[in-house]
Amino acid sequence: MTGRTLLELDNVGIRYRKKISLFSGEWHWAIRNMTFDIRAGETLGVIGHNGAGKSTLLKVLTGILAPDEGQVVRHCDSASLLTVNLGFMPHLSGRDNAILSGMLMGLSRQDVKEKLDGIIEFSELGDSIDEPFRTYSSGMKARLGFGVAFAADPDIILVDEVLGVGDRDFRIKSTAAMKEKINSDKTVVLVSHNETMVREICDRLVWIENGTTMAQGDVEDVLGQYAEASGKR
Amino acid sequence: MKYLDIILFKTWADLRAEASRAYIGFLWWFLEPILYMGAFYLLFGLGLRMGGDGFVYFLLCGLIPWKWFSSTIANGSRAIEAGAGMIQQVYLPKIVLPTIIVAINSVKFLMILPILLLFLWFSGYVANQVWLALPLLFVLQFLLVWSLTSFCAALVPYVQDLRYVIENGLLMLMFLSGVFFDLDKLSPLMKSVLYLNPMALLIENYREVLLEGHWPNTSELIYVFAFSLMFGLMATWCLTRFDRRYPKVL
Repeated sequence: MTGRTLLELDNVGIRYRKKISLFSGEWHWAIRNMTFDIRAGETLGVIGHNGAGKSTLLKVLTGILAPDEGQVVRHCDSASLLTVNLGFMPHLSGRDNAILSGMLMGLSRQDVKEKLDGIIEFSELGDSIDEPFRTYSSGMKARLGFGVAFAADPDIILVDEVLGVGDRDFRIKSTAAMKEKINSDKTVVLVSHNETMVREICDRLVWIENGTTMAQGDVEDVLGQYAEASGKR
Repeated sequence: MKYLDIILFKTWADLRAEASRAYIGFLWWFLEPILYMGAFYLLFGLGLRMGGDGFVYFLLCGLIPWKWFSSTIANGSRAIEAGAGMIQQVYLPKIVLPTIIVAINSVKFLMILPILLLFLWFSGYVANQVWLALPLLFVLQFLLVWSLTSFCAALVPYVQDLRYVIENGLLMLMFLSGVFFDLDKLSPLMKSVLYLNPMALLIENYREVLLEGHWPNTSELIYVFAFSLMFGLMATWCLTRFDRRYPKVL
């Protein structure tokens, strides 16, 4: 089931500076001593309560942030967040945004142009694709984001749990498309606090709390420890 | 290479979006500088009666390059913050952001420059072989604008207060760059200080070429190049050093 290692986190720490006055401030560690790896073809779950450092972790995995401590070793080209918000620019048309985001996710301009019809079809935007992005409804924005993220097809797909966007039909469609990726050979990291979903689709699980890896390995084992700790809270 | 393509595409897309937003679209690229120059002409040419006969030509040769310089730095120094929404979602080398602003404004300058040249030509400043030096001046100014814009953009996210310094610094520098008066008429001491400013040198050389029919001064251009190189290297260093840290301070 699992193959070679695609990405390793080795005691990774990310700190933020809280400003107190002009020359003083204090460091606050959002994540620290985080160690785990991602292997080709697996679906890795990351579970943790709110404030556990999940969103900071995602920024490390996508390469948006560099670790302040420890190291990240990459054996793959791209890891992208499957998200409804790809950092679209309100003043550009949906089409230009799609091309730009596709390029930012590692495709060449030519590649994106070839995939554009597919993106437009998946996102059900039709002629609206040439309207400025700021005129889109939130459902349209979400659909475009998904369309591009799916088309870009990165080596590691990062999925943030909160996918409940857009109308019901599109939600079903995007969940289906996502499950297809998960069931295929794609490497997926699912960040979640939904135990049922994790149990259903993950091969392996990492539990993080207060920015640190608490346990990792077999899904049931880790979920057991997680449930036990949650009971005590 | 991949990021060069992104710069080119984003520049093109932004220019098109800007053109389609206003009712008369891209005509504003011409109208806006004309209105801007008209305001200064009214004030200094007609109102204060400075300069004499050739003043309008003298003024235009200074204002047009100055406008390129100042509006690029004013916009571009906020480039990383303006791109916050994007760089929180996907990795992008931060140097791309100010470079896009520089590219957009350079295109606009290239649209207005032929109008200036035609205007000069019809007014009796006939095109001659010296005008062949213009591409060189363009390239040098591009380097200067790029290096200073990137440098400001690299610092502003960490030191927000710099924005006010840049804004007012540009205003002050406009008066010290010889846009409105000939720096050569000042005392030797003042001259040697004010000509440390690379924009003053560039404006002086634009005038030498366009109005006087002289080739640019080589040592002055080398100075401008060295100045740009120094700031360009500092900017590149900062932007690379903090590349994956900027998202934390936005």
